[in-house]
Amino acid sequence: MANDREILREIWEGKIPVRFTLYPDEVYELQQPDEFYLMVPRLSYFPLVIDKVKKHFIRYVSNDKNDQEMWLEYDGQPVKWHFPIGLLFDLLVGTGPDLGLPWHIVVHFEKFPETQIFRLNSKDLVEAHFMACLKEADVLKHRGQIVSSMQKKDHNQLWSGLQNDKFDQFWAVNRKLMEVSGEVDHFKYIPFRIYDIEGFYKQKLVKPVSDEGQRKTLNDLLMEMYPKRATSVKVLTHGMFPPLNTPLQWMSEHLSYPDNFLHLCLV
Amino acid sequence: MPSSLLFGINNEGRVYTLSTTGGMWRELPYVGQEFKKLSGIPHFLWALGGDHQVYVYVHGLDIPIRVREECYENERWIPIEGFSTRLLPTDRFKFSSADGTVDRTIQNIRLPSMAWQWEGDWQLDLTLNGQPLDHDGWTYAVDFPAQYYPKKQWKSCVRRRLWVRSRRYSAMNSWCAIAPLHKDATAEPFIDICIGGQSITGAEPGIMLVWAVTSHNRVMFRTGVSTRSPEGAKWTLVSVPVGCEINQLSIGSSGLVWASLLDGRALVRIGVTRDNFSGDSWVEVRGPGPNLRIMQISIGMSSVWAVTQNKQVWFRKGIKGEGSGTSEELAAGCGWVEMVGRMSLVSVTANDQVFAIGADDRAVYYRMGVSFGDQTGKRWRSLHAPLQVSRASSNASLSRDRFQNQSNSSLNRPHSLCESSGIGDWEEQSHSAPSAPTSLPVGELAGKHFETQLKNPKAWSPVRSVGSVVGTEVISDESVYNSERQDSCIFAEDEELGWAEYEAPWSWVEAGPCTIDPNQLPNWFAEVPTLQQTELDQPWRLKILEDLKSRLSNDNKYSDYQVAIDTSSWVHSGEGRICMDSTNVFIDCVLQLEWVHTAGTLTVLHPDGASTMHQFSMNEVTCVQCCSDPGSPRLSIHTPNITPPVIRLQFSSDTMLEEWQRHLSTISMQIHNCNGKANDSSVWAVTKLGEVYVWDGLQQKANKIDDNNYEQIIDLAGKEVPFTMHLHASCVPGTIITINGCVSDDVDRFAINLDAHNTYKLKHKAHAEYENCVLHINPRFNDNLIVRNSMIEGKWGEEERNGNNMFRRGQEFSLKILCKEDDFIIYIDDEQYCTYRHRLPPAAATMLSVRGGLKLFKLKMNTPSLILNPLELYWRPFGGHLRRVETCKLGVTWGIGYDHTAWVYNCGWGGACFVGLDSNNVNPMADSQDYRVYENQRWNPVTGYTSAGLPTDRYMWSDATGKQKRTRDQVKLLSMRWQWVSDWLVDFHVPGGVDRDGWQYAVDFPSTYHANKQFTDCVRRRRWYRRCAVATTGPWQELGHTKVIDVSLASVNDVSISVWGLATGGQAMIRTGVSTSTPAGVKWEHVASDQAYSSICCGSFKQVWATGRNGCAYKRLGIREDNLEGQSWLCIEPPQGAQLKHISVGAAGIWALDIHGNIYVRVENIKSEKWRSVNIDPAALTGGLHATGFKHLAAGYKEVWAVTNGGLMLRRQGICQENPTGTGWDLGIPGNWQHISIKAFE
Repeated sequence: MANDREILREIWEGKIPVRFTLYPDEVYELQQPDEFYLMVPRLSYFPLVIDKVKKHFIRYVSNDKNDQEMWLEYDGQPVKWHFPIGLLFDLLVGTGPDLGLPWHIVVHFEKFPETQIFRLNSKDLVEAHFMACLKEADVLKHRGQIVSSMQKKDHNQLWSGLQNDKFDQFWAVNRKLMEVSGEVDHFKYIPFRIYDIEGFYKQKLVKPVSDEGQRKTLNDLLMEMYPKRATSVKVLTHGMFPPLNTPLQWMSEHLSYPDNFLHLCLV
Repeated sequence: MPSSLLFGINNEGRVYTLSTTGGMWRELPYVGQEFKKLSGIPHFLWALGGDHQVYVYVHGLDIPIRVREECYENERWIPIEGFSTRLLPTDRFKFSSADGTVDRTIQNIRLPSMAWQWEGDWQLDLTLNGQPLDHDGWTYAVDFPAQYYPKKQWKSCVRRRLWVRSRRYSAMNSWCAIAPLHKDATAEPFIDICIGGQSITGAEPGIMLVWAVTSHNRVMFRTGVSTRSPEGAKWTLVSVPVGCEINQLSIGSSGLVWASLLDGRALVRIGVTRDNFSGDSWVEVRGPGPNLRIMQISIGMSSVWAVTQNKQVWFRKGIKGEGSGTSEELAAGCGWVEMVGRMSLVSVTANDQVFAIGADDRAVYYRMGVSFGDQTGKRWRSLHAPLQVSRASSNASLSRDRFQNQSNSSLNRPHSLCESSGIGDWEEQSHSAPSAPTSLPVGELAGKHFETQLKNPKAWSPVRSVGSVVGTEVISDESVYNSERQDSCIFAEDEELGWAEYEAPWSWVEAGPCTIDPNQLPNWFAEVPTLQQTELDQPWRLKILEDLKSRLSNDNKYSDYQVAIDTSSWVHSGEGRICMDSTNVFIDCVLQLEWVHTAGTLTVLHPDGASTMHQFSMNEVTCVQCCSDPGSPRLSIHTPNITPPVIRLQFSSDTMLEEWQRHLSTISMQIHNCNGKANDSSVWAVTKLGEVYVWDGLQQKANKIDDNNYEQIIDLAGKEVPFTMHLHASCVPGTIITINGCVSDDVDRFAINLDAHNTYKLKHKAHAEYENCVLHINPRFNDNLIVRNSMIEGKWGEEERNGNNMFRRGQEFSLKILCKEDDFIIYIDDEQYCTYRHRLPPAAATMLSVRGGLKLFKLKMNTPSLILNPLELYWRPFGGHLRRVETCKLGVTWGIGYDHTAWVYNCGWGGACFVGLDSNNVNPMADSQDYRVYENQRWNPVTGYTSAGLPTDRYMWSDATGKQKRTRDQVKLLSMRWQWVSDWLVDFHVPGGVDRDGWQYAVDFPSTYHANKQFTDCVRRRRWYRRCAVATTGPWQELGHTKVIDVSLASVNDVSISVWGLATGGQAMIRTGVSTSTPAGVKWEHVASDQAYSSICCGSFKQVWATGRNGCAYKRLGIREDNLEGQSWLCIEPPQGAQLKHISVGAAGIWALDIHGNIYVRVENIKSEKWRSVNIDPAALTGGLHATGFKHLAAGYKEVWAVTNGGLMLRRQGICQENPTGTGWDLGIPGNWQHISIKAFE
């Protein structure tokens, strides 16, 4: 049971200060637009939080461009819409006290990089992607029994809780997904993804306990994933490095993103 | 759910208890007797001792078990001798019971056993139905079975008087031995004992059934066991079929009895009903398999579990406790189901939860997931609770290595246990004698233990007689039952105790006294608490938490960044139905609630979504209340200052209702800035649906200037003359009213009046109305004078007309009225014009009325009296389901549920529909209520009683009045928070008595009903009831086991509080140790009295009044600060012809309510004071639907508030010394109110 509210609350409250600027070549007006500063929740997705950014910059681009889809770029790379913001930051910037903060993101309205990122032009698409991840995670954890026994309104509550930054609303439903059922006190498999520097991820069936019934830790997970270089790697998630002896079950219950996956970045 | 106890016996035969609110096994005081088996129901434990004798343990009762022995002394008048003890041969005994059938000679009335003690000597009862009698207490009648009168008449031929004497069960909280079957206790010892049957359908409350098996395999039934007689009367033999040797017995709470035989079969007792507690006959049930012998059985309400000799556990299908007395099938079930797990013993609670002892590890297990729908549960889970080990125990030496010094992680431990010096000493001791035999240290310590015991001479003398007390440990039992007070001084002699985290080998577990809610399991299961406990301190968790917190540096570098998701403004919309008048017709609508930063608006649209039906600002809302009917979830929103003053919304589901209730309530709370705990000077109110509301008494301070001065300024510009307005305050001496206005050009006369409430007199069942005017100021321009006058009950007095008219046509004026002790002083344009001597008490002036040609601009009122408009109070909702809430000056607040459970406000807020941050410190709460319907039948000559009534008759299934049709199938639960907890059952406890099948007979409907069918009876009825329970949450903490029907609190000084309560039997109690820091207090102390009370109230701690069940009022005498309990009750006659049922006292007087809802008032400390009656007046009757009288009264320091039975809240105005009854009511909102407490206010 995910019942350590202090941790859950801290995870939920995680925010990143972002400085948005419009790509200079796209500025159509004479006046340069002001930079736009925003605190974005780590657990959310960019399409849910950048309405204000779009409103701010759209006045400065040529009229024939402003019906085009907006996209974001960091450090010359287009930013993937469908990753949670915290994961993107961990992947692209890394961590450290105020390292790279505020996060500088360039806003584009032209030349959508079709080959590199998906088009996610409506919030419904994000929702569909989010729900798909959630279901996949529940299949791993409980063979999908819990998510399929939920009603549509529960799904809606999860999504609107995330969308409106309502912790209690989200966790009122999410706690069911984080419960353990039946005779055992752990999930069947741990839903996680480990990302390398390039942003590609690996996924594997890993149980939270060993065959002998011992609780596995993060170290065990790394050993299974990278038997050769397990000692030399660290994982970054939510802007911090969880100690290697953190139990996997606990990590999954407390450190998962709202899509119920642990998104770990290999460093 | 109240806390309850699980009992266990360890391998040494010591008895331990585990409280559902605690987490540790505590040993029952050891008095030298080991035990083998236990069987219990709440508060009553029967045990089989190591000597194979039977012992009873009564515990945890706050009210002593008292029995009042009554004996009537009868005499007959004989012509010459006068009244004489010689009676006619046909008469009753000289000393008899009330109906005369039983000989009750005083000398022969003895204590039933040594466990009882007399309280005082025989005394005469000197009252008859509340009316006092002469000193010899005789009551007179024409002949014996007749009406008795207090006065002797010429026709009185017999007389009688009542002798009473109370006896008390003195073996409370100690083991009481039951006499052996034979003189030689070893001749036929017992081998099994069981108790149950506390909820036999329709039986008198308090009945308990006890069965036992002797070593000769004879089955014994104990007769006469009840809460009034815990040890019962005697053993009676119950025969068993030939060839059946009973080994073990179990009885469920419904009275169902199963027995296991030595050969492995089982027997079921058939026919256990309220008429026949020991049942009729045995029916055999085969074991689950050919070689599977049943060894042990345990029965809950509707389940039977058994263990076979190979340690397998079996569940019996098809058992239904409620029907088991009449149906063989339901008693015997229909098949065995095998369960996983090897157990040596099972024990089932009264709500069918299952505990067991593992066959191999001898640990206690709980069956997870047992519910009404799934009686077999999911899996076994072991209990982990630390064990209290006394040093006298040999387990202590076995496990001494495992003793843990708890001083580091003593989160749950009693404070005193942190000093582990005792254990340390002892270890040293044992180390210092390494060569001694292992038993030596134990022996030494045991010796010490015994020494302390010897101070109590009763201990260690287990006399083998009925009811002898084995040992009393008055101190220790509290530690067991009041685990919430873990920091108390109970463990002063702590070196005797230690705590061990080792797995004790258990030999017995008894769950009968225990009530477990499967949804809220106690803290007994190590995984949850310990895992979390250990997790919280793990370095990896601390590291993660620290890292998470330091992700962003703490300086406000980013404080001017915009937030991505704006949560401060929102719109909530949905569909519903609305009713804006009292027609009860709801029409479809669309609701939109908009909240922008600090302002909210509710818009009601027509279903097309375009046109507006109603719209108002959320500022107007004073109360959001649930007003659901079963099946239609409804909410009422009170907006008293706009029309309509109340709208009602109906929703499609309970979820929708709660969602809207939550949104509307949070918004209005935000607007009124109500958050955090309830203020100490709040007024608490409860609605008929059990919802709790609070009006923050500090809000009224807005118009308060200093302690004795209130001010209100009312803008009257634009108000059309004539008008009458409430001032919501009294013009008591010291009041200054200033009115500014302008006289019209063409005016002849106008009038400015200070009015009092009308007087209503009941004439021929109709109210006659008489106006009252305290001060009438009437300038007449044609006569050039100003007339001053008063109207008393519709009649003008003598006019005072000296002086000229100072008002000028067409000119502005300022009129100032200053109220002095004796007169009003009237100033016109700042010049004193005249004085006017009071004819009516000035406090009666509560209204301003203006007539004639003038315009008013503004009114300013400065007054020492409280200005309060009851309509404008904002009622903030709190969670919980309660019947009444009482508070006191220091803010300590108690509540009572419908099931008479007492709750204490724990300074939290929210609960019920509030979630997240809107809730704090809320606990789960449960409450229950009964639904009742009446089945009516009429007799006809052919078929006897049938449900075919005459066309003019009432419905054959109806409510109590017969006017409403009520069938059992149609009764619905109020909301999703409620669920049924029983089936429909015949109620055998209807006032007036019932026959064997629950029927009551009468000559015709509607009439008085009686239990026995008589020749003239043509109709009969019986009452059915079904119990339902609500599960909700609220900032309340449960108080304890004792059920209370009334409670009242008053502060003694700045810290401590005197709390009086009434137990369900009407016994008065006082709660010790209540203070602002311990609002729940320590324990109840019974205040002995022979009278049963129906309500109690303390105005100040010295002023305690009660009403008796007989309708009298009682006043407690002799209360001092060092003796809060006082000394004696003084009976005060009720008003002529009235029976009081509720009383509320304060400095504002003694206010009482009779059974018909009439109010009576008296003033304290005045000799020859009589009750004055306050009639209900039409003003108060109009506000609520179907109001006929008053339901509740709350008297405070100066204020008196009341609630009508239509749910309207009222504030009494015009109470002053000259007129203690006041003059009239100022109306509040018709909020379906039921109870109000204003003790903390003012």
